[in-house]
Amino acid sequence: MPAAVQKEKGSASLVAMLLVPIIVVNSIGFILPILNLAQLSFKEALVGGGIGEAFTLSNWAILIEDTFYLEVLWQSVWVSAAITLITLACSYPIALYLHRTSDPIRTVLIVLVISPLLTSAVIRTYGWVALLSDNGVITSLLTSMGLNVPPLMFNTTGVIIGMTEILMPYMILALFAGFGRLDQNVEDAARALGANELRVFTRVVFPLTLPGVVLGCLLVFVLAVSSFITPKLLGGGRVFLLATEIYDQAIVTLNWPLAATLSMLVLIVFGLALALYARALRLVTA
Amino acid sequence: MPSDQPSPSRTAGTGVPLHLRGLTKKYQDFVGVDNLNLDIQGGELVALLGPSGCGKTTTLRMVAGLIPVTSGEILVGGRDVTSTPTYQRDMGLVFQSYALFPHMTIAQNVAFGLEMRGIGKDEIKARVRDALRMVHLEGKEDRKPTQLSGGQQQRVALARALVVRPSILLLDEPLSNLDAKLRDEMRREIREIQQKTGITALFVTHDQVEALAMCDKIVVMQAGKLMQAGTPREIYEAPANPFVASFVGRANRLTARGDGSGRYGLSGVEIRGSAGISGNVTMMIRPHRITINDPAAAGENGLSGRLTEVTYVGDLVQLEVASGDQTIMVERSTRSQEALPTIGESVSLNWSAADTMVFSEDAP
Amino acid sequence: MDNNRMGLPMKLLVSILFLYLLTPVILVFPLSFSDDQTLAFPPSSWSLRWYRAIFGDGRMMDAFITSLGLATVVTLLSIVVALPASYAIVRFPSKVTNALFNLLTAPLLLPTIVLGLGILIVFASLGVMGSFSGLVMAHMTVTLPYALRVLTTFLTGLNLTVEEAAATLGARPMVVFRRITLPAMTPGLIAATALCFLVSFDEVVITLFLAGPRMTTLPVELYHRVEMQPDPLVASVSALIIGLTLAVVLIVDRSLGLNKTFVK
Repeated sequence: MPAAVQKEKGSASLVAMLLVPIIVVNSIGFILPILNLAQLSFKEALVGGGIGEAFTLSNWAILIEDTFYLEVLWQSVWVSAAITLITLACSYPIALYLHRTSDPIRTVLIVLVISPLLTSAVIRTYGWVALLSDNGVITSLLTSMGLNVPPLMFNTTGVIIGMTEILMPYMILALFAGFGRLDQNVEDAARALGANELRVFTRVVFPLTLPGVVLGCLLVFVLAVSSFITPKLLGGGRVFLLATEIYDQAIVTLNWPLAATLSMLVLIVFGLALALYARALRLVTA
Repeated sequence: MPSDQPSPSRTAGTGVPLHLRGLTKKYQDFVGVDNLNLDIQGGELVALLGPSGCGKTTTLRMVAGLIPVTSGEILVGGRDVTSTPTYQRDMGLVFQSYALFPHMTIAQNVAFGLEMRGIGKDEIKARVRDALRMVHLEGKEDRKPTQLSGGQQQRVALARALVVRPSILLLDEPLSNLDAKLRDEMRREIREIQQKTGITALFVTHDQVEALAMCDKIVVMQAGKLMQAGTPREIYEAPANPFVASFVGRANRLTARGDGSGRYGLSGVEIRGSAGISGNVTMMIRPHRITINDPAAAGENGLSGRLTEVTYVGDLVQLEVASGDQTIMVERSTRSQEALPTIGESVSLNWSAADTMVFSEDAP
Repeated sequence: MDNNRMGLPMKLLVSILFLYLLTPVILVFPLSFSDDQTLAFPPSSWSLRWYRAIFGDGRMMDAFITSLGLATVVTLLSIVVALPASYAIVRFPSKVTNALFNLLTAPLLLPTIVLGLGILIVFASLGVMGSFSGLVMAHMTVTLPYALRVLTTFLTGLNLTVEEAAATLGARPMVVFRRITLPAMTPGLIAATALCFLVSFDEVVITLFLAGPRMTTLPVELYHRVEMQPDPLVASVSALIIGLTLAVVLIVDRSLGLNKTFVK
């Protein structure tokens, strides 16, 4: 008995020792900043970047009363939703192809899907600048064909085009992982029962892949809402989204309490998206 | 024993005795091993037999020092090792999953324990060579574990455990990952090596055939408790309770009433049994000890019934007979030339009083 | 596999979508060999002038060296901190360590823009803004969860009985860790190292909040450059970064296979 107790006590202090360093880093770099943000959203912003001591709801009141921030919120949500749907449409065929093809082609294609993920968003956005700017590849190509091209950059169109490409790898991988349930035999069974290709897809393939679809959509939506680099560079300060507004308030206006409040708003949108995901998942797996 | 066997050998019977005294392992919400007492003589191969979750592996791991003991003592050669850490216990352990070091060669695997004991390079080399020869793996020294078959990996594990000449050899279901044919072969080989080296060995298994065929002694466990310890013959012929009777070999389980003088009422017929218990009893009879429609069996216990089912299972035919409200299974060798009765026919069953095992009804 | 449903239209569609996915990255390479003063494609003539320009650009070079040093320090510290933690979490599982694992990997779920802002405000009051140690701390907040996840996954997959076997053969706990656990973890350590390095080297959003005029990293410098004057210099630097990333990935692939590391 004493030996056992001693051993248990010894391992408890060993575990604590092994975990202390990571807990310290996590506390300073994660817990403290987030708790601080939460309390800051209830503090008054003073002129010149100062922060008041008193508790106030004024930051939250601004969000509701100032139509500008309601518009930013609305713009963020619908742009992210649009990005999510277009990303889904562009990723589904690739994921289905990956699922149906076999090695070694599959491995090569998976590497091709992952490789953009390993490339900085700044670099990939730069590629889009080269493609979409007024004297960029696409614009000059279309102009030389005699087409009248609307501006593709520094507007919502540019942000959606770029973001879709940036987020496609996440969607493809989520879909591909979810396609595990898709069994060739089930498709063949439907075909043997007389279903044509369209019906096999709408009645068998798509329903079976829905859990992956829902997961991919959640992932891409939350990434879109919180993305900063690509919307900032391709929007050129003319597309107002939550993430870009947080940065501007923090760095340009130096209104940290308002930036903190907007951050909390992003987290609330995250929470709502997660709740929606849980409901959708229940619906498609029921 | 002939002394043609190279180094890692002990003379048979010189192994160290192992004693477990009131060994107990309690977890938060259940008792894994409950007050286990066991005496194992030097050089014996003892099976810990029982269904999964009976505490046999927990017992083995306590002996190895891999899990702390709640209470009780473990004595190796009279020395109390209960609170000795694993690395000082001097036990050889062979795992079900082989547990070979994947990043080391076969030779490095076998040499590891010798290195830990600070043995010189030349001696390590010689002993590794001898150990690998003992398990017929000469020439595989530089392979990696993944390059060997399951059976070969288990041989390496055995060599690795034995090369350090441990005081006790512990085997945790070493054969259950092997296919049936290989299992037979390894069974014989482990037994042979154990006898040659004379090492005391504890063998955990859930396979009764393995336990019966290999071991000097069998310890049957159930729900953390010792059910019976004895030689294979004792366990099979004189089980201590219905659990042992049905876990080791097959047995019909019937309910009867006794008058205390060795006579029992079963479906209205008088049966003579091995004990004199009064009141409600559990009566166990092995199916292959019952004859069916045998004219030479007059004078033995007898019962008549109706044949309800016949199942052909290769070397045996299993016949199900309904007698009163009890169902009795009878097994007959397919070698028998006599015609089987047809289903629905009335049959008579006979067996000897010695084969009638009787237990009080509240026995486990 | 099944060729009739993988018909030409499907293949064509998938090819176009892959083109969409990969063009922005691939385009960087021809652009980096441009001889033009400004961004144009195709370039009117080719040259290596924008590669030479990198070395003439003091800010870019400083940022590159900062990034390299930062990623190296962050990676080393992350492994040193995450390795014991992963061992404790996997080998001594309890309700507490499980909850701790979720808390410690939570920074991955948080948008970097929120995390960056939070760190900015706290670090400003700690006075470590725009300093190397501040950047190390901030980067470790995001690299540690990756390291922890990769290492715990590998440790969980490691057969515990192998360590037990070593103990029964007479190896003390530290010897078991050094001779058995650590070597068996090599693939996990390589993967975690590579991942931490790439994550730190590529980190831009949090760094954007913390970097000052005195100290900036390569991605942040690139970001400002794309915002202000997206000339072919960005392309040549990007091509070098992609080359570096590729080298890291190839080393990982050589030692354990890409699929195993990055596709879970």
